[in-house]
Amino acid sequence: MLELKHELKLDKSRDEKARMNFVSGLRAHVLNDMASGMRAVYDAEVEPGFRRAAGRAPANGPEVHKAIKPNEYFKFYSSLRVTAQDMVWQSVFPPLERNRTQLKDRAAKLSRRKKLGSLTLKEGFEVPRYVSAIDVHLMAGNYDGEYEAEDLAAGALYDNGLAVFSFGLMGQNLDDIGQSIAGFIRLKFPQLKPAKILDLGCTIGHNTGSWKDQFPQAEVHGIDVAAPCLRYAHARAQAQGRAIHFHQMNAEQLEFPDASFDVVFSSMFLHEVPKKGIEKIIAEAYRVLKPGGLMLHMELPPNGQLSPYEAFYLDWDSAYNNEPFYKPFRDLDPVSVCAKAGFKSKNFLQFVIPSVGWYGEKVWSEAATRPPEVDSDKTGRLTDGIMWYCFGAWK
Amino acid sequence: MSREPMRRTIRGGRPYFFADPAIDKILNMVVVLGSEVWTLRERLAAFEAIQVRQGGLAAGEIDAFDFSPEQEAKLAAERKEFIDSLFRILQEQVEEARGRTARAPQKPAEPVAARKRAVPVRGKSSKTAKRRSRR
Repeated sequence: MLELKHELKLDKSRDEKARMNFVSGLRAHVLNDMASGMRAVYDAEVEPGFRRAAGRAPANGPEVHKAIKPNEYFKFYSSLRVTAQDMVWQSVFPPLERNRTQLKDRAAKLSRRKKLGSLTLKEGFEVPRYVSAIDVHLMAGNYDGEYEAEDLAAGALYDNGLAVFSFGLMGQNLDDIGQSIAGFIRLKFPQLKPAKILDLGCTIGHNTGSWKDQFPQAEVHGIDVAAPCLRYAHARAQAQGRAIHFHQMNAEQLEFPDASFDVVFSSMFLHEVPKKGIEKIIAEAYRVLKPGGLMLHMELPPNGQLSPYEAFYLDWDSAYNNEPFYKPFRDLDPVSVCAKAGFKSKNFLQFVIPSVGWYGEKVWSEAATRPPEVDSDKTGRLTDGIMWYCFGAWK
Repeated sequence: MSREPMRRTIRGGRPYFFADPAIDKILNMVVVLGSEVWTLRERLAAFEAIQVRQGGLAAGEIDAFDFSPEQEAKLAAERKEFIDSLFRILQEQVEEARGRTARAPQKPAEPVAARKRAVPVRGKSSKTAKRRSRR
């Protein structure tokens, strides 16, 4: 099991650690071994069956989904994946519930230390329905659940849960996405010298900090709608010695002036927002960017760039993991979404970036010189050899 | 605002995949049990490692260990009890069948249709009555 490396780490018993180890191992089995098993079953049984009936191969993800749904292997894969997802959070609740007082005390102590960044929360802030009404990825309580004054337990649930969930594939500090991408941008665009960077939907700031690491001169801000995650993010950044400014803010209505940032980033964020919200968020990113600034979103790859099977595989979450906006987001064409917000099509860019943690610095840095390959069974999948997809545009 | 326990149930429901959702639920139970079995193994491994560190055990001593004949016999009895209790649910049907034969040894076998009709009134069978009297 991946142990958190900062002072907010929960104290866990031997048995609690063992349960977490088991869940991580179960997830690795389902997402690596069973996923490749399911592909073999699809190729040998499902796809030929579809061809016999329709006289052609499935044309898209939903057709693959419909064809594979009655298959017993699919049912076991799916049922076990839901079980594993649920067990991720269930493995965190007992030690978290027991340690809530200690967690608050530690956070309070951390915020009394020399303030590196800041935390700005809003009284009476309205959390959008797409966060307040569902438990995204089966995480009971979601990002914004609060159970006492000054609560930060939901942030701890996410941080500790992510450590179990990722079975090492999101890096030792759960920041592989941030480190891989911020570092890649620094290598690829040496002329870019950002003074101000904004991370949208930053949750606990686990990928926000990488921008500060890669661009230490920059002023780095993170926004989110969920107060408990932001309180935790602030304490976590204090513990890690990073100066980050966290604000409770909706990315659809940023409270920053026009042309005030050089980089606007997000990771694993847009797919949790309905289409209308995504359009507003990209338009807001355009507004707050300085001319010549860079917008970049790390995301799951768009369906238009995937084979029908890969599209089905990634859409699984939308159907079964309480991610209702995941498929609609991935059905969008990123070029037109950016164009609609005012970005010129010629300024559009997209990358597939090898995980620096998985591939090591050499392969990762060499990728900065290669054209992107989006349709790979590694892209956007938490699997051995993971690659991160991102898209965006220059203003 | 006082402190409430964190909610552990998922809003928005949980998907089921098998024709009978009970299969998904039982699969979940099996996996949770698997997790507890693993947890015990890790705990035992920790115990063993501590014993080795403190000199109470030599490395590999458990793997090379054999029980004495007396210990082996005691364990064999316990193992049988364990296995019997694991499959107790299947035994219920056998006991019911044996009870039926014992009650009416001379009667010829009932036709299948009659036996089927007898199933819904099982609540009034002697087995339930026996269970009640045991309480």
